[in-house]
Amino acid sequence: MVNPEANKSSPAANQDDILRVEGIHTYIGQFHILEGVSVHVPRGSITVLLGRNGAGKTTTLKSIIGLTPPRVGKVIFEGKEIQGRRAFDIANLGIGYVPENRAIFRNLSVVENLKIAERKKGDLERKADFIFSLFPDLKRLYRLPGDHLSGGQQQMLAVARALVPDNSLLLIDEPSEGLAPILIEQMMEAIRSLSATTTVLLVEQNFIMASQLGSQYYIVDDGKTVREGRMADLIQDKKLVNEMLGVGGAK
Amino acid sequence: MRRLSFLHEHSAMLSVLGILLVMGIFGWALMGQMPFVRTALSGLTLGALYFMVAAGLTLIFGLMDVLNFAHGAMFMLGAYMGWQFYTNPTFLFGLFPLIFALLTGLTCGPLVGYLLRDYTAEDRTQQTVQSGLGLAGVLVGFLALNGLDIIGMADTAMVDMMNSANPLAEITPQEPLGIFWFRPLLMVAAGALIAGAASRPGDKTRMVSQADARRAGLGLGALLALTAAATLVRESGPVAVLTADANLRFFGALLVGAVCGAGFGAAVEVALIRPLYARPIYQVIVTLGLAYVLKETIQLLWEPLAYQMSRPPLFAQPGKAANIFEWFVTHNQTVDVFGVTFPSYRLFIIAIGILMLIALGVLMKYSRFGMIIRAGVQDRQMVEALGINVRQVFTFVFVMGIALAALGGIGASPFIPVQPNMGDAFQLQAFIVVVIGGMGSYSGAAIGALLLGLARAFGDYLALKYNLSPAIAEASTVIIMAIVLLVRPAGLFGRKE
Repeated sequence: MVNPEANKSSPAANQDDILRVEGIHTYIGQFHILEGVSVHVPRGSITVLLGRNGAGKTTTLKSIIGLTPPRVGKVIFEGKEIQGRRAFDIANLGIGYVPENRAIFRNLSVVENLKIAERKKGDLERKADFIFSLFPDLKRLYRLPGDHLSGGQQQMLAVARALVPDNSLLLIDEPSEGLAPILIEQMMEAIRSLSATTTVLLVEQNFIMASQLGSQYYIVDDGKTVREGRMADLIQDKKLVNEMLGVGGAK
Repeated sequence: MRRLSFLHEHSAMLSVLGILLVMGIFGWALMGQMPFVRTALSGLTLGALYFMVAAGLTLIFGLMDVLNFAHGAMFMLGAYMGWQFYTNPTFLFGLFPLIFALLTGLTCGPLVGYLLRDYTAEDRTQQTVQSGLGLAGVLVGFLALNGLDIIGMADTAMVDMMNSANPLAEITPQEPLGIFWFRPLLMVAAGALIAGAASRPGDKTRMVSQADARRAGLGLGALLALTAAATLVRESGPVAVLTADANLRFFGALLVGAVCGAGFGAAVEVALIRPLYARPIYQVIVTLGLAYVLKETIQLLWEPLAYQMSRPPLFAQPGKAANIFEWFVTHNQTVDVFGVTFPSYRLFIIAIGILMLIALGVLMKYSRFGMIIRAGVQDRQMVEALGINVRQVFTFVFVMGIALAALGGIGASPFIPVQPNMGDAFQLQAFIVVVIGGMGSYSGAAIGALLLGLARAFGDYLALKYNLSPAIAEASTVIIMAIVLLVRPAGLFGRKE
């Protein structure tokens, strides 16, 4: 059973939270997608958003970055309220967004895909070595147009793109979706190493990946955050995992 | 491998060029050199103009999803403004002080918002204050224009007398400064009142930062200086322009046409398109309405007449230059190209078209701005999420597109009549070009414009030769569109899914 109290209880505020999402409600057109999502992301950690398909995880990320601004509630980044600001403004505060479905610019070359993310001149030069150490493939593909890349390579490019500017928080949406197992390994490795310098809020359906990367979790169900806690506790609770994440959860 | 992928990548472009080449060889053989070269050059002239109209149209649609039905009207506007500068600059010089004054007033918006940042009021009071200010602004603006003979300033002869003995023949009288001076002042006040209403005094949800206010202050100073300068040169300016070298004045007219287009484009984007992003259909309807308003306004000022703009002396010396290099010395009105006598001015239009194509290509391919446009055509939201102000890019693209169309308009003026509906045919053809080339693709616009220009020219030639209806030439472009759409439904270079 889902604890009905969990719905109301707001996560404990912590001084060192880089991002606090407080009870946001988001509409897309007439549809009430988020009906009270609260997430606290401690600095320097990987926080995972879990939940079934259509639970509102992607919309939560989009509400934070400002692509679907919340109508009610607060989004507080580095102590400043940012809800209602335009997306580019929010991104320039130091938030990187990696959308689902490998949304790279397919009509731009790999290097242009990285270059366009620069916020200051020379961003890419400074970060190139780090990016290529995470994704060595991209170095070889540097000049190719984006639509020549395989699905996995596109996904890596999408993550790499968010690493070009100095971001203190990355919102990563389903990086393992549709990837071959060996590429999932590589992606996990990359996210683990980039989390050494950057805080990550990760949406992930693949529970194995989520459980190995995350240090705390939130479960979103039906547009609400219903559970939160330490990942280590969740791994023990097989019943909850099965119930909340449905088919293909913890095996 | 790499070669193969190059062929694959550019298959559309290569096949179109291949078809054109084959048809060209056949045409050359069947038609004979003289008619072929003449028709091909006419086609290129048309193609250059189509490109200048279509390039903006396709970028604006690809990036902003705005189908700009006023594009042809802006082509026409560019033609009228440039032509006025060339033959009778009184109209422009007389109105610029007022336009700059209004802009000066409008930049006060953020300052008003900043000064009144501590003032809050109830919704009812807010509305009253806002509509009061807005109405006062309109009233003051009306007072500023009251009695100003704008139609008189616009008065221009049908066939200009530029080459007559008196270069100032066209000039129309203006009010002396002693009477005129209060108009710009009232206009500043009108702009400030409207800006004050738009800044929604009393509404706490609108925050104006100090940086915004400072920027507005700087803009205010600059515009105030510009207004003062424009007011002072109001009477001496037209005389100076008309007595200046006619060639220089002509290139000035090209620039003025493009700049007026750019300024008008900026005003339209900010005032009409931007507030309607939430309602995309309305944007299209607004541009459609704007086209009518523009045409009617132009008719009001210059009557629904067809004016003839004279060519600058650079393209008007009697006689024929033996080749293009000789033309650089003699400035003849015609040039011998492969045995064909062709007007030198049309060659100039082809050159401008090619120049714009190269400039746009370099901009799109190698600049960061072009990169953002190409990315934005595919996925605007993601560009925004990377920290790029897409709305600002929209404004630039809109301004650039309109400026290009306006340049096409003033460029075409010396050989097509300047009249209110001069842009309509170009707009229709440009839409076909955009569909053929693929929405949002500037190289597609270039190829499509080339195809349509040649089709029109050769269609006209065939219709004339075989006594067919000239409608065949007009239909040919639509037939090409139908064929392209059957083979490639997204257009030759369309990628947007």
